[in-house]
Amino acid sequence: MLEQQEKVSTSTSTSAKSKQPEVFQQKTLPTEVMIRLQDVSKVYANGGSCLQNVNLNLKRGDFVFITGASGAGKSTLLKLLYGEELPSAGRVYANGCDVNRLRGDRLAKFRRRMGIIFQDYKLIPNRTVAENIAFVLQAQGKRQQEIDRRLIPTLKMVGLADKAEYFPDRLSGGEQQRVSIARAIVGTPPLLLADEPTGNLDVENATQILRTLQNLNTYGATIIVTTHDRQLAALSERPVLQLHQGHLYWVKKP
Amino acid sequence: MLQFFTKLGYLCRESLSSLRRGGWMNWAAISTVTVLLFLFGVCLQTSWQLDSLLDHFGNQLEISVYLQPETQGETIVPMVRGVPHIKDVRTIPKERAWQSLLEELGIADVAEATEQLEGNPLVDELKAIADNAQKVPEIVAQLDRIPGVDRIVYVNEARERLQQIQQGLSWIGIVLTSILSLTAIAVITTTLNLIAVARRNELEIMQLVGATKVWIFLPFVFQGVIFGLVGGGLALALITTLRTLLSNLFFVKTDFLNFLTEGLKLTSLQLSLLPIIIFTLGISVGMVGSFLAIRRFSLR
Repeated sequence: MLEQQEKVSTSTSTSAKSKQPEVFQQKTLPTEVMIRLQDVSKVYANGGSCLQNVNLNLKRGDFVFITGASGAGKSTLLKLLYGEELPSAGRVYANGCDVNRLRGDRLAKFRRRMGIIFQDYKLIPNRTVAENIAFVLQAQGKRQQEIDRRLIPTLKMVGLADKAEYFPDRLSGGEQQRVSIARAIVGTPPLLLADEPTGNLDVENATQILRTLQNLNTYGATIIVTTHDRQLAALSERPVLQLHQGHLYWVKKP
Repeated sequence: MLQFFTKLGYLCRESLSSLRRGGWMNWAAISTVTVLLFLFGVCLQTSWQLDSLLDHFGNQLEISVYLQPETQGETIVPMVRGVPHIKDVRTIPKERAWQSLLEELGIADVAEATEQLEGNPLVDELKAIADNAQKVPEIVAQLDRIPGVDRIVYVNEARERLQQIQQGLSWIGIVLTSILSLTAIAVITTTLNLIAVARRNELEIMQLVGATKVWIFLPFVFQGVIFGLVGGGLALALITTLRTLLSNLFFVKTDFLNFLTEGLKLTSLQLSLLPIIIFTLGISVGMVGSFLAIRRFSLR
């Protein structure tokens, strides 16, 4: 299967790498580059390796899927992008920043410019849907007026306007996932990282969520979606990468 | 400015919701702070009161010389004047002393009291004023050698006793305050830490959505400060009640007890200083406790 796939990309917009690392010469990134992984490896403290010499180049406005079996390192790849994990080797650039070097408030401000959809939703159980979504804007110090202005359109976009005052435990899995999406997009971030956003959802819900993400992409957001479901990726017209044994391969080029 | 109020509003909301979540743990923290501040406040207040009593005891240059019963004050005065460093000498005849004592004790009928005791039991007294407090012990030694002198009392002696009590009290105060401060800090740290652990997911999500450290942890510091303020308020109420009760207890019409009551009153400066000191200590303890609690949550 993998033999049929192109393992090294020289695409102008996206490049992923397996065996021959691609070296980036320029020190300052061109403004159109949104994501750059440069020879990135990640070895966990217990000796387990999940990423080996991964290279990836994404432009602003790109929308890619990353597929791979459970445990292939998809979530780790995203964690490297939002700075929750540090690479064992290599460099990670996102949204114009060298993520490895960000600490404290600079890391916090960097994260404000991205939306993250978590695999396990990460909703706060004792806050309503509206509070869960507004919470991001509050944490970023936005004024109440601004929060109110953004909240309703975002809720409408994910189809939860009538459930704004519900607590998460009263919602179905699909609805909770949509709250998580609403929270990620309410700040209109230029970069959206979605970790298995359709995991455990039926096809109808999954399609709806994909439609929302594509909608956002048309407004210029760069989107990375990880999924273990290849069919879902195939449903979309978007480029697809696969993470296999620590290496990143093109399955469908842009 | 608007940004400031937005932030303040957020901090107040978060602190209050955190207080609601804390439940009875809040009470544990507040009551410990209250006990600490109450004992600290009582020690401080007593120390001030002793200070004031010491002042009431009067001039430390004054030496009281009590004569033997048969000796007349006037006969001794020239000899006392001859002692070096004596600036002035006054005689208080035993009749006058007896009368003023009876008045202080609230007995109106002098003649009857004298009759009951078969005569005036007091002796003549001389009040000698020294020109230098350092020389008082030396003067006392010389006065003691004058014939007819029975006993010498000078204020220093009384002051020394009171000062010893005051010093002892200060030590007790320092030890108690230190131990209780540590206890209060430990309780506040544990309380806030438990609240933080319960909210671990929330804090983690806050970090992931871009909240700064200050934004995440300031509500905890606020909560610590609230513990300090509420504890301070309760302690102050207790101290004030205690002071009022005691002064009512001492409020008797005799001059002697009035003198004591006067000594126990705080000046207006002390009355305004006491809340400031108590609240400052309360806020400090609350802040230290909250800092220790959030220190364990390391953020990258």
